[in-house]
Amino acid sequence: MVWTVARDGPRRSRAERWGTLGLLSGPLAWLVLFFVLPVGFVAAYSFGAVRIFPTDGGPSLADWEQFLLGRSIYMGLFWKSVAMSLTVSVVVVLLAYPVGYYLALCARKRKYVLLLLIIAPFLTSFLLRVLAWKVILGDRGVVNSLLYWLHLRPPGDPVPWLLYSQFTVMLVLAYVWVPFVALPIFASLDNLDRSLLEAAGDLGAGRWRTFLRVTLPLSFPGVTAAFVFVFVPTIGEFVTPQLVGGTAGYMYGNAINDLFTKGLDWQSGSVLAMFLLLVVVALMMIFGRWVQVRSVAA
Amino acid sequence: MRTADDPAASTGARRLLALFFLGLVLFLYAPIAVLAVFSFNDGDVAFPLQGFTLHWYRDALTNAVLLGALRRSVVVATASSLIAVALGVLVATALVRRRFAGKPIVSALVFSPLVVPYLVFGVSLLVIFTAVDKVLTETMGMYIGLGLHAVVVGHVVVSLPYTVLTIMPLLERLSRSLDEAARDLGADAWQTFRRVTVPLLMPAIVSSFLIAFTLSFDEYAIASFLSGTQPTWPVYLFAQLRVPSLLPQLVAVSSIVLVASVILVVSAEVGRRVAERRYGAPTPA
Repeated sequence: MVWTVARDGPRRSRAERWGTLGLLSGPLAWLVLFFVLPVGFVAAYSFGAVRIFPTDGGPSLADWEQFLLGRSIYMGLFWKSVAMSLTVSVVVVLLAYPVGYYLALCARKRKYVLLLLIIAPFLTSFLLRVLAWKVILGDRGVVNSLLYWLHLRPPGDPVPWLLYSQFTVMLVLAYVWVPFVALPIFASLDNLDRSLLEAAGDLGAGRWRTFLRVTLPLSFPGVTAAFVFVFVPTIGEFVTPQLVGGTAGYMYGNAINDLFTKGLDWQSGSVLAMFLLLVVVALMMIFGRWVQVRSVAA
Repeated sequence: MRTADDPAASTGARRLLALFFLGLVLFLYAPIAVLAVFSFNDGDVAFPLQGFTLHWYRDALTNAVLLGALRRSVVVATASSLIAVALGVLVATALVRRRFAGKPIVSALVFSPLVVPYLVFGVSLLVIFTAVDKVLTETMGMYIGLGLHAVVVGHVVVSLPYTVLTIMPLLERLSRSLDEAARDLGADAWQTFRRVTVPLLMPAIVSSFLIAFTLSFDEYAIASFLSGTQPTWPVYLFAQLRVPSLLPQLVAVSSIVLVASVILVVSAEVGRRVAERRYGAPTPA
């Protein structure tokens, strides 16, 4: 018996090691070839380390320098997008928190069904949900028609900032991301030990005090995760501004898109894209540990 | 049922929260409903409504260019989600069942597409495809070009984290002893995997396929850079939004797609929950 175990042990683990390599070789090859390599190539390209077009310059930091220190319009656009994404993230978390709270702590049996009701729109076409707002806020859309009908505005004189403004972009982005954000907030509140709330009550804390001193701090990981999950995709957004933003709602992502598809200045585009990636990676390094909590909890 | 001194919320606060919940549900569904109403409107997409019609649906279903774009998206979504599920099963098995050095690095790599902006990833693939084609034309006089294959390649990368995340929980719940029993009864590793592990994982495999499929079918950013002259449905939809006369048709098709995708995803989710419950609590590994 002892002999078999001794023989079996190392043999099995070697087989397992080869098995693990076999399991991972395909997926890793795919990711390296089609994910790591392209992103790395663009990083190299942004420094001119590789050339694609005859017009591309040699290795230089000029494009990065121009972008970071040259007071380029792109840096201004970046900060404008940061401000817009931050606003959207805050609004979305403020909207989703009461819903998560209600579902996790007040609605008892039907909470998962009700949660699905909130999340379901997120699973439908993104373009379609943006399009819906274009229809609602258009010159002859729901809002303007209603205003004409109520004689609050003369027909043919639509509210100017309703469509093609920063406001519209932020409204639509908030609409798009609310369902997604309800999930991590709900998860953190649902995992909360109810007896802690009862204990706080027994110790004389009122409901507000319990909320501020117990519930809110304990749901902080969910709130942080929610915040990051909205901020990261919206900072690189270019589709929504293109559809409902007009020139006022033009964002950093639109600049990248235009450099690659219209301006054909791929090197500057690469600098902008890599900067965006760096920002997102930095955010994940700062907030990553709270985001992890969510995937463990889910 | 509830005591008056519920520590989470007073009766009044609970009512207020319920009202807020209702308001948010309205906010979420009203725009979609408005769009659906217009797909039956006998006129253009603007108020006032003109009357009921089905002819936008008829027009859409006979529009060859539109149907072509839909077909392309079905092809891309099917191919990319099949590959993503296959790779996802392999990754999930390695992450759940194996111990190996570098596991944190592997899982970081697999899940990183979740946080890389699609815009950045899309242009990266565009640049590398262009660069490779440049080299190929200069050395061998041939090129790969952009198109559906390029979109599939990108969609597999962004779907993979979702398939892995869907398959891992069920794999954690499946008892290892089933695999061991199969091995003891003489099955080799491949037979065990094919005849025992995969059938037991089927509910998670199906729902991860549906999630990957919906993701790919709806994906615009990556496809817009890579589809070249073969627009997928979202790329076509986006391009046509500038043509007002086509809008009612697009709204009609979108409504069909929307209803179909909701049914797909909800049934996938319900199926997965049922399956996970049937297998019971997670077994210690």
